[in-house]
Amino acid sequence: MFTEALKTIWFDSGFAALTWQHLVMIAVACVLIYLAIVKKFEPLLLLTIAFGVLLANLPLAGLMKEEMGSETGGLLHYLYLGVKKGIYPSLIFMGVGAMTDFGPLISRPSSLLMGAAAQFGIFMAFIIANLLGFTPQEASSIGIIGGADGPTAIYTTAKLAPHLLSAIAIAAYSYMALIPIIQPPLMRLLTTEEERKVKMEQLREVSKLEKICFPIVVTIFCVLLLPSVAPLIGMLMLGNLFRESGVVERLSDTAQNALMNIVTIFLGVTVGATANAENFLRLETLAIIALGLVAFAFSTIGGLLIGKLMYKLSGGKINPLIGSAGVSAVPMAARVSQVEGQKANPGNFLLMHAMGPNVAGVIGSAVAAGILMALFG
Amino acid sequence: MSLADSLLVSAFSIALVFFVLVALFVLIVIFSKAFGSVRVSSDQSLVPEIADTPLQSAGLSDGTAGQDMSLGTLKLKNVDEKTAAMIMAIVSHESGIPLSQLRFKSIKALEENN
Repeated sequence: MFTEALKTIWFDSGFAALTWQHLVMIAVACVLIYLAIVKKFEPLLLLTIAFGVLLANLPLAGLMKEEMGSETGGLLHYLYLGVKKGIYPSLIFMGVGAMTDFGPLISRPSSLLMGAAAQFGIFMAFIIANLLGFTPQEASSIGIIGGADGPTAIYTTAKLAPHLLSAIAIAAYSYMALIPIIQPPLMRLLTTEEERKVKMEQLREVSKLEKICFPIVVTIFCVLLLPSVAPLIGMLMLGNLFRESGVVERLSDTAQNALMNIVTIFLGVTVGATANAENFLRLETLAIIALGLVAFAFSTIGGLLIGKLMYKLSGGKINPLIGSAGVSAVPMAARVSQVEGQKANPGNFLLMHAMGPNVAGVIGSAVAAGILMALFG
Repeated sequence: MSLADSLLVSAFSIALVFFVLVALFVLIVIFSKAFGSVRVSSDQSLVPEIADTPLQSAGLSDGTAGQDMSLGTLKLKNVDEKTAAMIMAIVSHESGIPLSQLRFKSIKALEENN
């Protein structure tokens, strides 16, 4: 009787259902948790994604189980609807907008050219992914990793290739965390010592009126031209208008703190939960991770090359190092430009100058995503 | 998708990204110029008004420092004129209220043991 009961408990437990694939995924989750906690690689998202991976790979827990007739689905299945329907990335964009000062971009609008050039990697990865046999929808989702913008990558992938979501999200956030390692060698390779030493003139002061009008103008123009970017650009600019209007402090504070944190938890844990062994342990995951690196590298190169062109055209007034910040990843990429600039010239302060291309990159990657969704959605 | 097709799609897409961001660049330049000219004209209309601010009428350019002073309606205690002018400018800038609409009664330095 007692052994029968023990047997029943054992066979009903997840232990009996564990396969080697589950064990590999649990190990992957533990590595990601280690990277988030010990190495501090984008911990806000990587930690929640990693725990989602762990939860999704504990057999019989059924947290991602779909609703079947009268049987209710798993907790994460319902929370995942926010990703599937594109709600969480858009809400995160609202928080990003509320936290972002577009002043440096308004002050030097030519930064937008760097933000555009730094989307080059998206299309380079798109071409290679197509050659490797991915569908155009999958190739677009993989390419968007090069935009270095997590919410945009998740939003695009959820719309075009949801089965690749976990691999793309993990690749995107891991590479964003690795920007201080990926970008500097390319920056030093593509720029001369003389270029890196350039001290840039102080930015002009931007009036409050300009800052208030900016989100309205960008929304009208971008959404009319590319309606598919409305959720991302619209929310980004709404958040920014909260910030700049100065009359809705509470909403601005909620968008950039409480709401952003809540959505980050839901987004991270549910994206991680899509990484079950069947979806994740495939050769194509390795291909996605490799292509993500290609996309990041070419985006950095694109930004740097246009930075060099602007250095020439401006008669040496623009430091080309700020071009690499066009890959979004706010503000990490701008910090890398600052660090590299200061290594060449300790009196160099490029941070505010690099914030222009950096926020232009956010708009640029959303526009690129909108184009790909319009073409292949 | 063939290589030629993906090259074509990529070239078209990156061109469109550039087009959108260049158009934004032009829009920003236009509205910055427009607001700049509005600001210049409003600044010019403010000149006589600013000249009549408490800061100007208090005669803060004339010198004595480090003691109690009464300059017009503004009393300074252990604060020199330069610092007082700076404080008034900062308060105006941070609060977004033009200096012409602010009235300072006194500025005094707090002693450390208070």
